[in-house]
Amino acid sequence: MSDSTEPSHLDRATPAPAGARVATRRSVLLLDRAMSLIIRLGGIGIIVAVLGIFVFILWQILPLFRGAAVELASSGRAPPGARLMLVDEWSERPGFLGADGTLTFIDLVGDAPAESIDLAGRVGAQITAAHLRPTTGTIALGLEDGSFALADVNYRAEFDDGRRRVVPEVNVGAPIDLGGGRGRVLDVDYGDSGRDKVAAAIVEVEGKLEVRAVVLTQRRTLVGAGRIEVRGAFDATPLVGGTPKAVLASSKGDSFLVVTDEGEIDYFFAVDSGFELRQRFSPFEDQPDPRISMAEFIFGDVSLALVGVDGTNRVFSLFVPEGQSVRTWGRTKQFPPLPGPVSAYTKSTRTKAFLVVAGSLASLRFSTTESIRWQEELPFAPRLVAISGKNDRILFVDESSRLHVYALSDPHPEASWRAFFGRIWYEGADRPGFEWQSTGGTDDFEPKLSMVPLLIGTLKGTFYALLFAVPIAVSAAMYASQFAHWKVRAFVKPLMEVMASLPSVVLGFLAALWLAPIIETRVPSVLLMLLLIPSAGVVLGLLWSAAPVAVRNRAGLFGELTVLLCGLLVAGALGWIGGPLLERLVFTVPDPAEPGRRIADFRLWWPAFTGADFQQRNSLVVGFMMGFAVIPIIFTIAEDALSNVPQSLRSGSLALGASRWQTAVRIVLPTASAGIFSALMIGLGRAVGETMIVLMATGNTPIMDFNIFSGMRTLSANIAVELPEAPHHGTLYRALFLGAMLLFLMTFAVNTVAEVLRQHLRERFRTI
Amino acid sequence: MSPTESSITKSTGPAPSTRRRRRIDGGEPLVFLTGMGLAIGLTMITALLALILFKGLEAFWPKRVARIELTPAAAERVGRDVVVAHILGRQEIRGAAHAEGGAGVDEGDPGTELRLQVGNRDLNGMGFMYLPESAIERISHPRGILRLERMEYGPALVEPLELDIAGEPPLSLASEGGIDALERAIRAAAHRRAEIRAIERDQIGGLSRRIESLRMRRRGIEASATPDPAEVASIEARIAELERRYEGLAAESRALRDAQHADTLTYRIDSGREHRIPVGEIVSAERPNALGFFGRLRVFLGNMWSFVVDEPREANTEGGIFPALFGTFVMTLILSVAVTPFGVIAAIYLREYAKDGPTVRAVRIAINNLAGVPSIVFGVFGLGFFVYFVGGSIDTLFFRLSEGPVFGTGGILWASLTLALMTVPVVIVATEEALAAVSRGVREGSLACGASKWQTIQRIVLPAAAPGIITGMILAMARGAGEVAPLMITGVVKLAPTLPLDATFPFLHLDRKFMHLGFHIYDLGFQSPDSEAARPMVFATTLLLIALVVTMNLGAIVIRERLRRKYATGAF
Repeated sequence: MSDSTEPSHLDRATPAPAGARVATRRSVLLLDRAMSLIIRLGGIGIIVAVLGIFVFILWQILPLFRGAAVELASSGRAPPGARLMLVDEWSERPGFLGADGTLTFIDLVGDAPAESIDLAGRVGAQITAAHLRPTTGTIALGLEDGSFALADVNYRAEFDDGRRRVVPEVNVGAPIDLGGGRGRVLDVDYGDSGRDKVAAAIVEVEGKLEVRAVVLTQRRTLVGAGRIEVRGAFDATPLVGGTPKAVLASSKGDSFLVVTDEGEIDYFFAVDSGFELRQRFSPFEDQPDPRISMAEFIFGDVSLALVGVDGTNRVFSLFVPEGQSVRTWGRTKQFPPLPGPVSAYTKSTRTKAFLVVAGSLASLRFSTTESIRWQEELPFAPRLVAISGKNDRILFVDESSRLHVYALSDPHPEASWRAFFGRIWYEGADRPGFEWQSTGGTDDFEPKLSMVPLLIGTLKGTFYALLFAVPIAVSAAMYASQFAHWKVRAFVKPLMEVMASLPSVVLGFLAALWLAPIIETRVPSVLLMLLLIPSAGVVLGLLWSAAPVAVRNRAGLFGELTVLLCGLLVAGALGWIGGPLLERLVFTVPDPAEPGRRIADFRLWWPAFTGADFQQRNSLVVGFMMGFAVIPIIFTIAEDALSNVPQSLRSGSLALGASRWQTAVRIVLPTASAGIFSALMIGLGRAVGETMIVLMATGNTPIMDFNIFSGMRTLSANIAVELPEAPHHGTLYRALFLGAMLLFLMTFAVNTVAEVLRQHLRERFRTI
Repeated sequence: MSPTESSITKSTGPAPSTRRRRRIDGGEPLVFLTGMGLAIGLTMITALLALILFKGLEAFWPKRVARIELTPAAAERVGRDVVVAHILGRQEIRGAAHAEGGAGVDEGDPGTELRLQVGNRDLNGMGFMYLPESAIERISHPRGILRLERMEYGPALVEPLELDIAGEPPLSLASEGGIDALERAIRAAAHRRAEIRAIERDQIGGLSRRIESLRMRRRGIEASATPDPAEVASIEARIAELERRYEGLAAESRALRDAQHADTLTYRIDSGREHRIPVGEIVSAERPNALGFFGRLRVFLGNMWSFVVDEPREANTEGGIFPALFGTFVMTLILSVAVTPFGVIAAIYLREYAKDGPTVRAVRIAINNLAGVPSIVFGVFGLGFFVYFVGGSIDTLFFRLSEGPVFGTGGILWASLTLALMTVPVVIVATEEALAAVSRGVREGSLACGASKWQTIQRIVLPAAAPGIITGMILAMARGAGEVAPLMITGVVKLAPTLPLDATFPFLHLDRKFMHLGFHIYDLGFQSPDSEAARPMVFATTLLLIALVVTMNLGAIVIRERLRRKYATGAF
């Protein structure tokens, strides 16, 4: 390269001095190499980091789709012959109720000696039946003399020297008479909602089985809760259809269930005079052997986990069937069958999970999503099972009274593919459906995490936004690129870019607080304007083209646009004024207060005529305001695509005598169609992800319809509403990440299609 | 028949009668239909900007105060003869005739009502009311009515009676001199208020932070394996010393606070009640009806100024928005500092170093697409990655002894980085475009002169591309400044007690939560307890935000146009 600077001689100069003169400084070379490295690393690093967003979000979502992990943590000995096991929140001091009526607590972590409490001695009678409510730690004890007593087990955590010590405390109430004859209590259960309390029992009186129920009250005194007293006793025996086998009292305190040997369940509900038999159902009536092996509540006591003697596993829930007015039990879930009758059962006290044991097979199942979280053939046959309050330990006691403690890790039982995208029969619903409701008022609330209503909401918002924006943006791009003077274009494009830069929070605020109240009372005006403004365009076109050339020429560069703007204003004003007239003519409903009179009000007419809702913050408002966000994007890209069609094509067409409209529609538009399509796609992507406008201008109700006068909840608004409140790494948190992932994928797919189309278009223009 | 053919056949017939038909066939009305699309678009944007401009400026313009005398029947219903209020607007009484049986209102025409801002929320229990026009006897605008802006309870529209300055005889406010004295007293009170704030926020705030950090150190020493009692004692002593200084400052601010209550103003409101408030409670006082045009203009400009420099009052519905403006500014600054180098490096790599091929093209498509990924997705990522992952790790490494999370919760650094990530594609795309516009000849000339690749980039390409890079940076800042959704989950708050940048060490507090203009709009419009009273504030804030964003964008557009003209190479 430096050769040219030297005098050209045929004999070359000796290389040494030339090399020295043109040698690059080492520092320059080093810097060059260093910068190359830095930029390469930095560039690749930034690109990887940017794409890493996808990976990170995916990484946050993945735990949602994992099952439960269960593994053996420790084993030990349980007191022999236990009939019932309960465990504290930290699974340190499990308690066992022996056949002799003693409650024994052992220490699993420390070396505290076993602690025994003689419950039978405390109540003064032999214990013949016992039923544990794990949620409250209450044991209902059935006694030999036809009465029952309540034992409350409370675990207290004491901290000394920074170390936790769990101390069980047992309060035993006085025996409560169940009414009727004396006899052995075979089964008893107690339900307490705080206000209403109910107890039900099966009592063997002189060889016959009687079903009894009592309604209880507890006086509140100044010093605290008083004695529990019987308010009314009820003998359900005559109403029960078969031989009673087990009773279940609802923790709502208003009802109880009697399970019979014949495979039927009788549902008794509290009424003024006692209880009424509200429903009798046979959960396995379609099976060859309809008998019931196990019936127990799932956390919340509105669902029943049922297993037939052949191992069929179903869940029944309380709901109001269509056309009826009271809640009855109906089948909502069907699980894969177990190998045989159930030998042990427990439920989670936090979620809708339950654990059933048949033989040596243990299966942890989740009611809401109808899924098996974990299932394993154990090396022993468990007789008793319990799940700790923190949902992190499962305790099994086998036939030889060995205690096996398993560590359970199931942070997201509510999540599954089906929970997010499938129809689910939620508790209390009369049919399976898609629902989003992440939090509720009570502990036993069932989270509903379906993405479907949010996806529908997103599509709805997008649809109405595009419905409004696409015609305006595409025709504006067409006019600006094909028909307007280039000076008009030079002025319009920056204005549109300013429009694109408007913060969406501003648009949302204007939509909700300024536009929505105006549109609410002026829907007929809006409808009329939709009709008048395009017709004004056509009529003006007719008039303008009929006008003499001299007039048109005098109008100058902005002539057409000025005429159009005037026409728009006039048509708009006409529509605005004419709206109430239209309303009075068409949109009237009969006045309920005064027969014969009609009220002219679109807000009343719409629900009366279509049966759909009318809300102030509705899709019409959202569609209009989203137009501000979407129109400039579509306009800019479409205008670019149209302008970039080679001039030779246009000139050729015009030279052959085609009018400017014909040229535009038949030559330019087809050539640029890919670009316009890509503009629509990018506009779509923007509308899908728009957050603030929909957050502010809709009611954010996750509903599933396409009614233009109702709101919606979109994926993006849902994230903005719920993420600040979602506990870190909880199911909701990850579910919202899933929502973000869906948004990401949707926009990424749409934009990629658009981008590929644009590149394709560029290639095409290069060859023309 | 193909279109061109038909045109040809028609154009051969020059008969004038076919001319009009050809115009129609030629689609001229449809051209106007497309033109209507453009007209609608232009009208929409112009109307929106005009609306915001008008409503935003209107919020600062001093409104006249009307004294409305009621008809006897209405006076009985309302419970007073006279209402003193700002008239905000007129509206149809819609549906009221049906709902309430149309008491005194004609069935066919429900009539109109006035929307009034009556002020005196502390005494009236409400700040706004509606009054049917049929209830009005007479409206006048007496010059003497005084409008007070107060620290609490919003504005008051009053008839001033007496100014009671400590140590001086009571002064009647019927005279001009009285009003001047009142204005002087208000100015003195404002001065004291600033002093109180300086003491309480800056000095006491700095002290308590130091005490807190000393306590943290003490905890650290006590938790260590071998606590040194001497060191603990010295820290104790220093804490005690700081606490003594704290007491001194507290006493000083107490004295100033007492002084704020020394002078009082007595006034009468429209219901006839008399009321006395400390002058320290008054922010400003003016007589809107007595002002001429220039007087109004002065008040207008004054209102604007105090809007920009004051702190918000009354749950953000009154006062200024300085913290939000400042928060937006600092956030945008951090954002641009973070986004520019990375975006430029990535663009240089893509344009100058990477070999053009399917991979680079794919990467370019991916980056273009990232610009279209919804902002909320970046917010979600920011919360998960920056706040919980990075911030949480920083906390466990360096701030284990702190009571609450320091970096493990939303803050200005994380919000800025989230937005930086979101706007990186903007900078990359703009920079690439600018780099591509630098002509090949210039580059090759430089290389031919023996410059290395980096020297070429550094001395030739980058300076030529600088306006383009600046354009990208401005566009990124504009997008970042207007974005709210990602901030809502990464650290913006409705009311931040402290600014992210202040006079206490280390001056820039990256872990602090901050206020933001956009979120301020959202919060005022939707979370405010009194959204009616907040309305002018929202419009004013909107105007400010739009002005910021539009100015930045127009700047970017102007720079880009210049650049295009300079290097007339088209970029698609």
